[in-house]
Amino acid sequence: MSSGITKTASGGPASTARLRGVAWYQHPRWSRLTAMVAIAVVLTMVTGEQGTDRDIFFALREDFTGPLPWIWLGLCLLVWTVREFWSEPIRKVRRASVAKSDPPVAWVRGQWRGDRRIRQLVLAALVAVAAFAPMGLERYWHQVLVDQIAIYVLLAIGLNVVIGWAGMLDLGFVAFFAIGAYSAAFWTGALPVDPPFELNNFLVIPVAVLTCLIAGLILGAPTLRLRGDYLAIVTLGFHEIVYITAKNVEDFTGGARGVSGVEHFSIDMGFSYEWKLDPLPYYWLLLGFIVLLVFLFMRLEHSRVGRAWTAIREDQVAAAATGVNTVRFKLMAFAIGASTSGIAGVAYASKVGYFNPENFPLLASVLVLAYVIFGGMGSIPGVLFGAAFLVWLPEVLRDYVDPRDRYMYLGALLVIMMIYRPQGVWPSKRRQRELKMATEGTVDGDATAAPAGGKVS
Amino acid sequence: MVRTKIARIGIPVVAGALLLTACGGDDSGDGGGGVTIGYQGPLSGDNVQLGVNMEYGVKLAIKEANASGDLDFKIKYKAVDDQGLPEKATAAAQKAIDDQDVKAVVGPAFSGPTDSASPLYTQAGMATVSPSATRPDLTEKGYKSLLRAVPNDASQGAGMAAYFDKKTDAKKVMIVDDKTDYGVGLADVAEKELKAVGIEVTRTSAQQKTPDYSATAKKVANSKADGLIYAGYYQDAGPFAKKIKEAGFDGIMMSDDGTKDDQFLKLAGKSAEGWYLTCPCTDPNVDAKTKKFAADYKKEYKEAPGTYSAESYDVTNMIIEELKKAGPDVERQALADALAKAEYKGLTKTFSFDDKGNLKKQAIFLYQVKSGKIEYQGSIEELTAS
Amino acid sequence: MSLSEFWDFLVLGVVLGSLYAVIAIGYTLVYGVLQLLNFAHSEVFMFGGYGGLIALTAWSPVTSPSGFQSVAYVAVGMCAGAALGGIAAYGLEKVAYRPLRRRHAPRLVFLITAIGASFFLYNLAGKLFGRNAAPMPTMYENKKLFSVFGADINITQLLILISAVVMMIGLDYVVNRTKLGSGIRAVAQDPEVASLMGVDIDKVVSRTFVIGGLLGGAAGFLFGTNQQVFYTMGFLPGITAFAAAVLGGIGNVRGAMVGGMLLGIVENLTVGFWGDGWRYVGAFAVLVLVLMFRPTGILGERVGRTA
Repeated sequence: MSSGITKTASGGPASTARLRGVAWYQHPRWSRLTAMVAIAVVLTMVTGEQGTDRDIFFALREDFTGPLPWIWLGLCLLVWTVREFWSEPIRKVRRASVAKSDPPVAWVRGQWRGDRRIRQLVLAALVAVAAFAPMGLERYWHQVLVDQIAIYVLLAIGLNVVIGWAGMLDLGFVAFFAIGAYSAAFWTGALPVDPPFELNNFLVIPVAVLTCLIAGLILGAPTLRLRGDYLAIVTLGFHEIVYITAKNVEDFTGGARGVSGVEHFSIDMGFSYEWKLDPLPYYWLLLGFIVLLVFLFMRLEHSRVGRAWTAIREDQVAAAATGVNTVRFKLMAFAIGASTSGIAGVAYASKVGYFNPENFPLLASVLVLAYVIFGGMGSIPGVLFGAAFLVWLPEVLRDYVDPRDRYMYLGALLVIMMIYRPQGVWPSKRRQRELKMATEGTVDGDATAAPAGGKVS
Repeated sequence: MVRTKIARIGIPVVAGALLLTACGGDDSGDGGGGVTIGYQGPLSGDNVQLGVNMEYGVKLAIKEANASGDLDFKIKYKAVDDQGLPEKATAAAQKAIDDQDVKAVVGPAFSGPTDSASPLYTQAGMATVSPSATRPDLTEKGYKSLLRAVPNDASQGAGMAAYFDKKTDAKKVMIVDDKTDYGVGLADVAEKELKAVGIEVTRTSAQQKTPDYSATAKKVANSKADGLIYAGYYQDAGPFAKKIKEAGFDGIMMSDDGTKDDQFLKLAGKSAEGWYLTCPCTDPNVDAKTKKFAADYKKEYKEAPGTYSAESYDVTNMIIEELKKAGPDVERQALADALAKAEYKGLTKTFSFDDKGNLKKQAIFLYQVKSGKIEYQGSIEELTAS
Repeated sequence: MSLSEFWDFLVLGVVLGSLYAVIAIGYTLVYGVLQLLNFAHSEVFMFGGYGGLIALTAWSPVTSPSGFQSVAYVAVGMCAGAALGGIAAYGLEKVAYRPLRRRHAPRLVFLITAIGASFFLYNLAGKLFGRNAAPMPTMYENKKLFSVFGADINITQLLILISAVVMMIGLDYVVNRTKLGSGIRAVAQDPEVASLMGVDIDKVVSRTFVIGGLLGGAAGFLFGTNQQVFYTMGFLPGITAFAAAVLGGIGNVRGAMVGGMLLGIVENLTVGFWGDGWRYVGAFAVLVLVLMFRPTGILGERVGRTA
């Protein structure tokens, strides 16, 4: 073993190592080998047997007596060997291919930027595809698309305002979703208490949005002095309070038994149409809402309000010093963000028809936050993609892995993604720049938060 | 600037849609005109054990039917997972409905999912025979698809009350629910029935997975009640039983079908001793008729049948029976109508439904934990008759 | 509620609160050196429970142990829990946090990584050990020992109290009196200057995680002894302990102890007065109230400044 090491370690790194007085076993290569072995062990457990509580050692025994660990160990060692000893030729090949593939990309980008008509054409095509492509799918996917994807996309758009633009860490966003759903139930007469008058679902939307706005203000007002993690825990507490209240105030919310019989959407103005159990009409309705909101929010992003949010996010003190009314704009971010979940709540309550407090667990709040940051916070296309992709992923994983393990893969994906692409899949340009500056050590990534561990390591 | 941004939105949507199409394509049914029996229940998430109990029962029935040679067609099995959550149930139900081969569904296992999935099943004309959705009002909502092959919580609550009334001299009973829709629903019924027979009732709750049951146990012990009903599942009943014993409560303790599982014995240990458990289910491990079922089950799945395994087995066999009569090409609606009128004598009881889809005969059975085993005591109707 | 009942719930609250305090220390230590919310600490706690369970199952305790055996079981279980918790925390830092620190990623990214790691870890535990809850093997007969103002104290409760107090005193000693402790405080105050003064930041961070993990793991074992072990058991106590750390002043070790105690007591009194359904409402209402008047918690922030 040792002779092989001296042979392979001779060369540049080894000589510098000698100069520093570092022994051969301190070469980072060997700690990377240990890491690869550890990864092989973890992968064995991840892909191995399902355990049982009857015998706590069952899974471990099955996993490590079969061929599985050796397969993973072999693969990991292969990766390690390639990375340590053949990385240079591979890098060359990759560089060559990147150089080749660059011109067409640049050409497309040039066309895209240059011609306005092409942009409009592509845009129209995209909306058309988004509207009609699902028709070719199974109805199962329609249901997933409406009940889960579209709803969470709406939530993510709202949370993006709070966290992506105004830079406030909100860990209790789904509380507003719950408030929206319960107001829908209240105004359509599905709760144990009777509303003063019943409303059509379309009319409930503005009412629910207003309720969420007010709830956003109520949450925002006492927490304005708080920053970063303090805000996170208070919003988390707000969620828990809303959830527990929904569960316990049985006379008003129906408690743990939930609410059923929320009416479907219907229009009765000259012509009448009722949304029924079919998911597709609901999909188009929600797509309409999403397109509308995205349009409005994009206008907002580049308006005075949006710029004020950016200023608060990047440096609150400086923003206040230059005359931005931070209190007002922070409250506005909370309220506007909360409003989309009002829409989501109404749509959800009428589509599914039954819900109970368990639909709004704390975990959902945490997940929405993960969707936003995964997609690239601050960037609307990124957020749309992040939410859509991460909601869709566990559903499709169902067919490929044991359904009980789906969230394990989701968690692993989040970790890997954040390590290799911390800015998210599709970051906004401004956010990317902020991150780049943070990496170079010139400024902090967020005004709410200094980079962890200081600027040295 | 704004326009380019808008343009970018479309791409992830389309990419997502394309991916969906790609994946949607390969899990559609094979269209071979087979007959499939579906099962909807929690196969992931927190309540997976109950879901697995039932799944194994369904699978065993199908396997035996195929092996018996009585059928001139093969029955396949399709499981859809709702995680026990109402919002996942619509998509799960749709998955079963989309597969044209699925003629009837065993499930949904839980009441919440039943409530959100039943409109879809009703629209598709597909019968769903649930061996475990016990919330009383489900059958009051006009879901034509839903046949409930289990006595509802109203009967169970009444059974509990009857037992306290006739067989004990309890004056004051404390009811603890677990803040789930199941626990609260059952606790409400039990409270109403107990009050109706003149027993004083106090209510409190200990939410599922609470970090410490000591305080609630202390409350029960301090209340000077001489009876206790816990409405919830075994995972919480286990530690609660322990804490109740530590707190020094010595009244009559009773729990429900969600607790009647060997897991309860394991979790509570010695503290489980003396607990009464009511259940609309017979015990497959004790009843002579069902011993063979228990043995087969154990051989196949390496564990003893759990709560609702035998009921799922029965319900599946009932569907198979009707399929045998109607043939493999039967329409869903026709099969649903046949099932609603059918009478089937299973291992656990005789199944026949009234016009709302409830069981005609609703029997509740009583069990008691004695020397580390859940011992069958008999039906409450018989026990309280004397 | 009578006075004796009040004492009952107060005593229960102190017991639960001391557990929360030990977990909260794990959050606050990591926050002190990294200004990072280690969301995955709850899974470290959960692994502690499984560590104890695995060790004791492997040893398979006799049904009615003698006094000496009982002590041995508890000691082994606690050590195993602490060890697995420490390993989990060490691995977490190596895999999930160090690469990010190298890149100077902003803290939100750390938060999402922590959430991802948390999902991964608890589902992995569910896969390995089964998703049903498991009781800790019987280590002793849980008898009532004595009464304080009419409130009974049993062996488990005494065990939790004593272990928590010992751990807190030990930790206070480590942070304030040892070389490692001064390293931790130095990094917490100013990492740049600390590194110029020759503090190996990577080492300090790694050891801070391990200390937090040891405490969290031991707390997980105690929690499992008191109740049961299951794969999602970290979630709720984790959230509460996190709230406790913030309540006391995040980054402040003594603050975490105070915050944990206070939340434990508030929770149990809430349960006593209104029932378990309202448990967290009481805790979070206190949190919001305190933060409204003292935005940096009861004792204020930072390991370096106050401890």
